[in-house]
Amino acid sequence: MLKRSLKIGIVCPYGWDTPGGVQNHVRDLAEYLIAAGHDISVLAPVIDETNIPSYVVSAGKPIAIPYNGAVARILFGPIAFARVRQWIAQGDFDILHLHEPGIPSISLLACWAAEGPMVGTFHAAAKRQKAIFAIGPILEPVIEKLSARIAVSEAARATLTEHLETDAVVIPNGIYADRYRDGVAQPQWQGNTLGFIGRFEEPRKGLSVLIDALPIISRFAPDVRVFIAGPGENKETYESIDPQLRSRFTFLGKISEQDKANFLSSISLYIAPNTGGESFGIILAEALAGGATVVASDIPAFDSLLNHGQYGELFESESSTELAKRVIDLLRDEKRRIALGAAGKKHAQQFDWKVVADQIFSIYEMSLVAGEKVRLTSENRAWSRFIGRDQRGDA
Amino acid sequence: MEPFLLLGIFVIIFIWYLTFLATRLDRLHHRVETSWANLDALLQRRAAIGLEIARSEIADPASAMLLTAAAYQAREASIANRSIAESGLSGALGLLLADGQSNHRPAEVVLLRELSELTDKVRIAIALHVDAVARTHLVRSKYIVRIFRLAGTAPLPITYEFESDVL
Repeated sequence: MLKRSLKIGIVCPYGWDTPGGVQNHVRDLAEYLIAAGHDISVLAPVIDETNIPSYVVSAGKPIAIPYNGAVARILFGPIAFARVRQWIAQGDFDILHLHEPGIPSISLLACWAAEGPMVGTFHAAAKRQKAIFAIGPILEPVIEKLSARIAVSEAARATLTEHLETDAVVIPNGIYADRYRDGVAQPQWQGNTLGFIGRFEEPRKGLSVLIDALPIISRFAPDVRVFIAGPGENKETYESIDPQLRSRFTFLGKISEQDKANFLSSISLYIAPNTGGESFGIILAEALAGGATVVASDIPAFDSLLNHGQYGELFESESSTELAKRVIDLLRDEKRRIALGAAGKKHAQQFDWKVVADQIFSIYEMSLVAGEKVRLTSENRAWSRFIGRDQRGDA
Repeated sequence: MEPFLLLGIFVIIFIWYLTFLATRLDRLHHRVETSWANLDALLQRRAAIGLEIARSEIADPASAMLLTAAAYQAREASIANRSIAESGLSGALGLLLADGQSNHRPAEVVLLRELSELTDKVRIAIALHVDAVARTHLVRSKYIVRIFRLAGTAPLPITYEFESDVL
């Protein structure tokens, strides 16, 4: 296999210093590729320019806009476009990797401005939206320029096929599986314990489903305790809990990677009650890699990640009684709980960066067959020649 | 003068749109060529590995004969027959690997692993190529593209019907 060192430009559409799945994916991918000896430059919107790694180039301050059930920090406009063009012109890239080129941010701008080997990764899985059909005709000629499309899950692929009538290769999100492999069980998190990791304040993470399920669970498992890890203000969430059950909940705040590994190998069950807006479920993959037995809602992303329940228990999304039933069954059946966790841990190895980055890299190689470099382009060559703005000699 | 001005603006916008479509189409043709070059190279390598397997001890004489014939056919097929010939090779390889025992010597294990890695890549390359071809067909079927012959002399890309299930 051809393994020469490449100059790769990666574009992240969301604010670099705000938490999010796409940002984590871009960071991990960039760091993995740098470790493999490639020259990486990441273009991203940045809020605080004093505190970014050396491989990140700021495209300006992001703008907060509600999108897909959450606040997205994205960036567009003439100044951003000029910066994107400048970055491409100066970068002399072999290939561009654009993340989420279907949303109005700098990935789309880069896709508009560049020509040559370009790969796009689509993360979002959304329901059919009229707005996207309306902008489809504008988006299509731009997205069409990508030499290869990657979707992070079958759900994301279906979204792409539905909205833009184009197919994609499914390559899952990556995790550093070995970071979670050797967690040490901590006594304070053991016993009949349920774990939850994530930004619990966001309704789509579904913590309220778990809170509503607890009265039933505690009737059958009186010593059950719930640990919630993740950044956020817990006062409001705490007050939404039945006062009699409050003592069973512990908020751990944001925990370190090492603690996360220990946490996942200590708890009895990891609960993922997300109600939607999830495309892949990276935290679920990490929980599996950490050896936790998982109980997850049956949203499409989780259903396909757990292979219809083979690697973790699924319950009907948003149904607290269903969740309670599954949890009680598993807490009573120690043998099955451990077997499920072991199967999940093995399954999660395929999401390791070693595997995933290799797959992404072979897509890069396929796009590089034409032997061209990335360059700035015009959407309309004849026209640009006519008005004398052609940067390309040939065409 | 007003109607003439409006007409002039309309004509300019229309010409801009036509050249925009022509650029888009040219780019798509380029994408089809690239994805085909990639797929072709992978398929050639697969045929070469097929021949190597036929000569190794993995294959019994009968399947070696079948495999050699299929690999040569795949290599020498014209573009129009390529899809059928490659499916034939997939079938021959599939037959051999389906009843393959696992007690192979190291050299053969390497060969088989190489084949399975290549098969994964071929599968992706087919998807990329089919997508590029479908896209090109879609744009070329627009009335405006057909009326103004924006595709020029570029031949219509052939849709390959690879049977991905036998891979």
